[in-house]
Amino acid sequence: MKVTRRDWLVWGAGATAGVVLSPVPWKLLGDTSIWTQNWPWIPQPARGPLEVKASACTLCPNGCGLRVRMAGGWPVGLAGLRSHPVSQGALCPLGFGAHQLIWHPARLRAVRHRGGASSWDEARAAFVKACSEGPVGIVDGFPGRAASSVFESFAQKRNGAYRAVLGPESQALTPYEAWTRVPARNLGFDLENARTIVSFGAPLLDGWGTPGRFSHLWAERAAGQSDPQLRLIHVETSLSTTGSRAWRRIVIRPGSEAALASGIARVLIEDKLVPARGPMPLLTLSQAAEQSGISADAIRELAHTMVASQPVIAIANDDNPAIAALNVILGAVGSRGGIVQRSKPKHSTISTADLRDMRAVLIDSSMPWEFVPETRAEVFRFAAWDGGPTRADWLLPTPALLEDLTDMPTAPASAIETYAIAAPLVAPPTGTLSAAQFLAEIDPAAAPVEKIIRARCDELLRGRAGTVHAQESTPVTNIATAEKLEEQLRNGGVWVGEPPRAAALRCDLKEWPAERPSKPSARSSAWAAPVLPPLATKLYEESNLLQPVPRRNS
Amino acid sequence: MARNSLVFGFGLLVALLAGWVGFPRVLYSRQNQPLAFHHKTHAEKSGSAQCNDCHTLAEDGKFAGIPSTETCAGCHSEQVGTSKDEAVLVNSFLKAGKPVPWKVYARQPANVWFSHAIHIRRANLECKQCHFSYGETDEVRVYEQNRISGYSRDIWGHSISRIRFTRHDGMKMNDCEDCHRQRHIEVSCLGCHK
Repeated sequence: MKVTRRDWLVWGAGATAGVVLSPVPWKLLGDTSIWTQNWPWIPQPARGPLEVKASACTLCPNGCGLRVRMAGGWPVGLAGLRSHPVSQGALCPLGFGAHQLIWHPARLRAVRHRGGASSWDEARAAFVKACSEGPVGIVDGFPGRAASSVFESFAQKRNGAYRAVLGPESQALTPYEAWTRVPARNLGFDLENARTIVSFGAPLLDGWGTPGRFSHLWAERAAGQSDPQLRLIHVETSLSTTGSRAWRRIVIRPGSEAALASGIARVLIEDKLVPARGPMPLLTLSQAAEQSGISADAIRELAHTMVASQPVIAIANDDNPAIAALNVILGAVGSRGGIVQRSKPKHSTISTADLRDMRAVLIDSSMPWEFVPETRAEVFRFAAWDGGPTRADWLLPTPALLEDLTDMPTAPASAIETYAIAAPLVAPPTGTLSAAQFLAEIDPAAAPVEKIIRARCDELLRGRAGTVHAQESTPVTNIATAEKLEEQLRNGGVWVGEPPRAAALRCDLKEWPAERPSKPSARSSAWAAPVLPPLATKLYEESNLLQPVPRRNS
Repeated sequence: MARNSLVFGFGLLVALLAGWVGFPRVLYSRQNQPLAFHHKTHAEKSGSAQCNDCHTLAEDGKFAGIPSTETCAGCHSEQVGTSKDEAVLVNSFLKAGKPVPWKVYARQPANVWFSHAIHIRRANLECKQCHFSYGETDEVRVYEQNRISGYSRDIWGHSISRIRFTRHDGMKMNDCEDCHRQRHIEVSCLGCHK
């Protein structure tokens, strides 16, 4: 029998069909993909003794409790710490994978000067020279830390300026500073005791405040209920996650938040829904309706709905004074379920000086990468990751999350005072320095961060108030020494102060503030880390981790 | 036409045989354990009836894994039998103070976090539900390693088709998910992945 060319072709066709029906292509595809995951240059989780440690997240000022799973001395997994009194076991999507940021490809590992390689000695010499030639501005994103004290003290000694750039939650509290004479960083939103919350664009369920704080409240008192114990009315200009889950959603024209707040305040006063506590808004109801794009009847109905279930509080997504004034009319300032004073004001030298007048500007790594100072000064930027093109003259590599000792004071919108310490769990890469360490090298007389943290623990101990929350709660009065208190906090404990006294806050609003449109809202709000890798951004957009599942498997 | 069908069928048959029979033999390298360890014999002689008599969980729930050489030295500090393997154990490992480089059949990839404590204590699973009852036999299994991925064959399972005829066959994520689904236990990605 002669084997023809046709036979070979037919045989090949049969063999091809056989290969497709065999496990060869499918198994090879799977195994090859696994092989590519295990190339030697790809960082692999360490194998070794397993342990679980508690710490605090330092990606944003909210300082959520972290449960860190370690293998062979390296963090291999992060989860929320249930014993944390504010975050209550929740984390933002970025926080869940933040231990991988240590290995981020854009991690800064060496000093760079205008795009070229440089050294710490050269950076130090340039900064010292700049300090001798003119004032220095220091910009801090998480004010109130021990490192912030180092910045403040350095700026004060050199006739410079210490600038704290606040997140949207803190900005929403700044209008009250003038009316209550209490700094915004000592105020908070008492959401836990509110019955109605009117959010003017603040993404309460989508990136506002401490992750888990409002979502837990919402899950317990509002989710799935037609007449919830906690009513969330969300005012917005375009559909958001918060708006889609709110009890009521109101769509207004962009930039008309102040007009709507004025309209509501006018109805509250005219219809005598609240006692007269402040001035009448300048806008008439019809003007408010025209500007906001909703009818006067709808505004009137909204005002009645707001006061039907009290306490009620209005939350802005920026420093819009009209929304703050609405809270004054509602009686929410200095009352339970409203704006409360959580701590006593302390002396501070936070400056509003213009950075354009500075010879040099030092930007701490707590500032988001997007922050660009409006100045022609020489800019020294500390960062753990390179976020792309920047106007900074010097890029200075700094330790990342879990690599540096830092303390975490109260989260920006919290109603209670807290204090936690994030102890370093892994050694930072060689050649990295935090901004506080850099300044301490230049000014040896400056107190190091460790010493300031110990002094703060000592102060908490002497105050004899509050409780340390860890696996068990321990009143401060039961802790013998500051060393013991610091040890508990370094091991993931959180000091929680006494509940705020609402009546302690007095507010005096004489004139209705001038109308001005709200700033466009940023969805990511306070949870934006200094650098968001693209994968994290995708996770943030698509993750359902924000949805609270308190007892998933119960 | 009949000739074409015959040739086509022949090609098909050759490829099927190569794929289903030959391919697994090529894909997995077969390696012997450093010592022939007989579970059944050891259990009978030591009076240890349960897996956790030797494969213990620590107080804090951590799985201790394979017993250390110190445990072996409890009986084998000197050679008590005549087998060649015992001589190797005593002379090459125990007296030299070296751990025995066992090949772990069930070793998961480095990005997996698995807690034995939760599965044994909370879910009351028996060891053999995942590891079969090898501990009750004297079989010394050959360790088979995937030449491409580097993982043990026990992870994929012994059936190349992943059609399982026994419950313990396979330790891939799908197997974990199947069991969790049956028990209505929901776990997110980060519950198991580092």
